[in-house]
Amino acid sequence: MKQQAIAKAAGKSSATPTVGKFRILRRFARENAPEVLALLGGAALWEFLGWSLGLQWLPPFSKVMEALAQFVGSGVILANLGSSLRGLIVGFSLALILGLVLGSLMGRYRHVEKALDIYVHALFVCPSIVFAPVFFAIFGLSDMARIAIIVVYAMFVMVINTATAIRTVDPSLVEMARSFGCGEAQIFGRILLPAALPLVFAGIRLGVGRAVKGMINGEMLIAFVGLGALAQRYGAQFDAAKVFAIAMVVLIIGLVSNALVQMLDNRLTRWAG
Amino acid sequence: MIRVRALSKEFGMRDNGAGVLALSDIDFEVNDNEFVTIIGPSGCGKTTLLRIIAGLIPYDQGEVAIDGRAVTGPGPERAVVFQNFALLPWADVLANITFGLEVRGTPMDECQDTARHLIKLVGLEGFEKRLPKELSGGMQQRVGLARALAVNPRILLMDEPFGALDEQTRRLLQEQLLLLWEEQRKTVVFVTHSMDEAVMLGDRVMLMTPRPGRVKEMIDVPLQRPRSPQVEKSSAFVEIKEYLWENLRAMQVGES
Repeated sequence: MKQQAIAKAAGKSSATPTVGKFRILRRFARENAPEVLALLGGAALWEFLGWSLGLQWLPPFSKVMEALAQFVGSGVILANLGSSLRGLIVGFSLALILGLVLGSLMGRYRHVEKALDIYVHALFVCPSIVFAPVFFAIFGLSDMARIAIIVVYAMFVMVINTATAIRTVDPSLVEMARSFGCGEAQIFGRILLPAALPLVFAGIRLGVGRAVKGMINGEMLIAFVGLGALAQRYGAQFDAAKVFAIAMVVLIIGLVSNALVQMLDNRLTRWAG
Repeated sequence: MIRVRALSKEFGMRDNGAGVLALSDIDFEVNDNEFVTIIGPSGCGKTTLLRIIAGLIPYDQGEVAIDGRAVTGPGPERAVVFQNFALLPWADVLANITFGLEVRGTPMDECQDTARHLIKLVGLEGFEKRLPKELSGGMQQRVGLARALAVNPRILLMDEPFGALDEQTRRLLQEQLLLLWEEQRKTVVFVTHSMDEAVMLGDRVMLMTPRPGRVKEMIDVPLQRPRSPQVEKSSAFVEIKEYLWENLRAMQVGES
């Protein structure tokens, strides 16, 4: 919520024509001071603990950054990042489509909801990783296996949220549309989907986060490619700095994908703010 | 002409087979270009009746016909104005007004022309790009009225349209509606719980009783048109209002 408010304030202020370079910087510092300070403080604490405790599993922050720089320099990260992101994008897109379609049908039609609800909730609660062996058996060591894992990780939270969003649309809007002769397709396109969008986006944000988790878990457990496989390999060698460096990359993927969804959300559902 | 004959409507069949009889044996007609107001205590089914005429809910027995054709659903000759406005919160004033036209496939420029004309008519100039939440209740219902008028219906069905507004706004909108009606002379069925409003607006007032909803009486309002706010001081106005109050009081005594 707070992030959204800040994003909105920033969006508004950028519309004013007479903002100089430094004023933008200063405004950024002012608005994001708590976040920036928290990150700097965290890094400093990490560095301090890393050196003073000397634990093998907690290398200092600077060592992690060093490992990250090496990864980036050698191109190892880039090669694996591409493979991971491809899986993420395909898997998440499939999950999104399935989530929106199933969720819409469940939210609109009681019979569909009654029939599917038990499955959706069961699969949502069930740790998705238990399906890894099943997908491994079906798809083998292919991209399909890790894409399937991403789909089960991300899909159900979006189904549930979309269903709730559609079900809770103000019924008087639907009635209004019917009074003007709208059929079911128009009611979906002109009333239910736009009205449900803010809540649907809340589900998409959760779905993106889960898709990133599914990506890494799938890569670590079944298809030995991508960032997950890299983490798996260095984890087996007890090279904590490299594992943390990969975790950093994953963290950045998570933050960036979340920011992208947030941006789209802000654009499309400004009316609800 | 709207004709309602021996209309009955039951709600919510329970497991034991007993539902609630919302409307029982309703008989009345609304002539073309006539303004009929419907008043009655809560639970008399006046909104249910309006929704049946609008074709939004089915009925169990009897007949509801418009120009001799049975109502089986919403139709282009009817438009509804809702108590809670039912505006699209993501659409601006202009887009809300053109909604009914757009879903019927009217070309965009024609939609815009009609909307601009109506915006002037209901006094919303300068607010075209505003969202509903940026408008007062009175302005929101002007949008609701303009949206209904945009599809040029012959029959306007109004479900306590001013019920959610404060007294001053309500009176202003009543005056505006009267002016509009003088110009366009649409057939209007107007549900209200305000006695002043019922008498001020209607050619006839239909008085309903609750549980089950029945028509108690159709009362003629012999007040001259066009009506000014001054009409409230006339003896005929006061008399009819008194008469309504006596009846409504008798219905509600012992219930409140």
